[in-house]
Amino acid sequence: MKPAAPTAVSGLQGALAAEHAAVYGYGIVGAVTTGSTESLARADWLAHQEARDTLEAMLVKLGATPVAASPAYQLPFPVTDEASAVRLAAALEDGVTQAYLALVAVTDRTLRSFGALSMQPPANRALAWRGSTVAFPGMPTASASA
Amino acid sequence: MLAASPTTLPLFLALTACKGPAVLSGPPPVPAQTQTLLHALTAELNLIWIYNKTMAEYSGLRPALAPLLAEHQAHLARLRARVIEPPGKQAPDTATARPAVDPTSAGALSQLRDAEQAAVTAQLGRLAGASPSLAQLYASIATSEATHVTTLTSRISQSGARS
Repeated sequence: MKPAAPTAVSGLQGALAAEHAAVYGYGIVGAVTTGSTESLARADWLAHQEARDTLEAMLVKLGATPVAASPAYQLPFPVTDEASAVRLAAALEDGVTQAYLALVAVTDRTLRSFGALSMQPPANRALAWRGSTVAFPGMPTASASA
Repeated sequence: MLAASPTTLPLFLALTACKGPAVLSGPPPVPAQTQTLLHALTAELNLIWIYNKTMAEYSGLRPALAPLLAEHQAHLARLRARVIEPPGKQAPDTATARPAVDPTSAGALSQLRDAEQAAVTAQLGRLAGASPSLAQLYASIATSEATHVTTLTSRISQSGARS
């Protein structure tokens, strides 16, 4: 049986949850990095806060209560140095790209387009962190092929 | 035995005379979603062609372009897997646009970047009428192509800085 397509609210909530996780994760990245890497992390952290605020406003406009950030998140691997922090940043961006791809499955044309366009900034940030592209950003295999 | 009534016989004749038997009619029109998918396939074939042509003319660009070409080949394979060939119509397998490659390597990179940007726009234009899963495939490919634009732009800046 095919999974049900997300509704506008559930798709936006999924993207918002991913943005919350990214804001948290970049706090870790920024704490472990220095110099230009830290500056890059800070810029990306701010970009995710802005995206989070946009999604919250969209949800409120739809009459929904935006999902709150968790007090803490389980990191996918220990982040102990700059190399692991850079890997975490790329993983965070992959997660956000994937969440926006889920939004593309909604039937509302405007939201579908919003989801597709919103995939581009995190995919480009993942490229900056990883140094290479992937064939299918947001698809489950994207991280595996990185 | 049923006798044809004066009212049902003209109706029967009217209904049957309108069309010949279905077996004689042409193939049904290709659904819009399939047509869009076939256009997406052709667009990937055109991109692959221009990458191959550029790499053949500028061997120094091969290391930078080969990974992007490989991703386009993956896009093509994924799109092709979604095609159920409509009756009387085969999925395209050759490029339809074969422009001349720019006479300078920097120009050729710009030409590829522009082709990638146009491809992003075209993929996003395919979202509206697509099924959810096909829309996600178009969106993912558009995003991949957007990262190619970034990669090529960076490469163009680097080559500009060196010259």
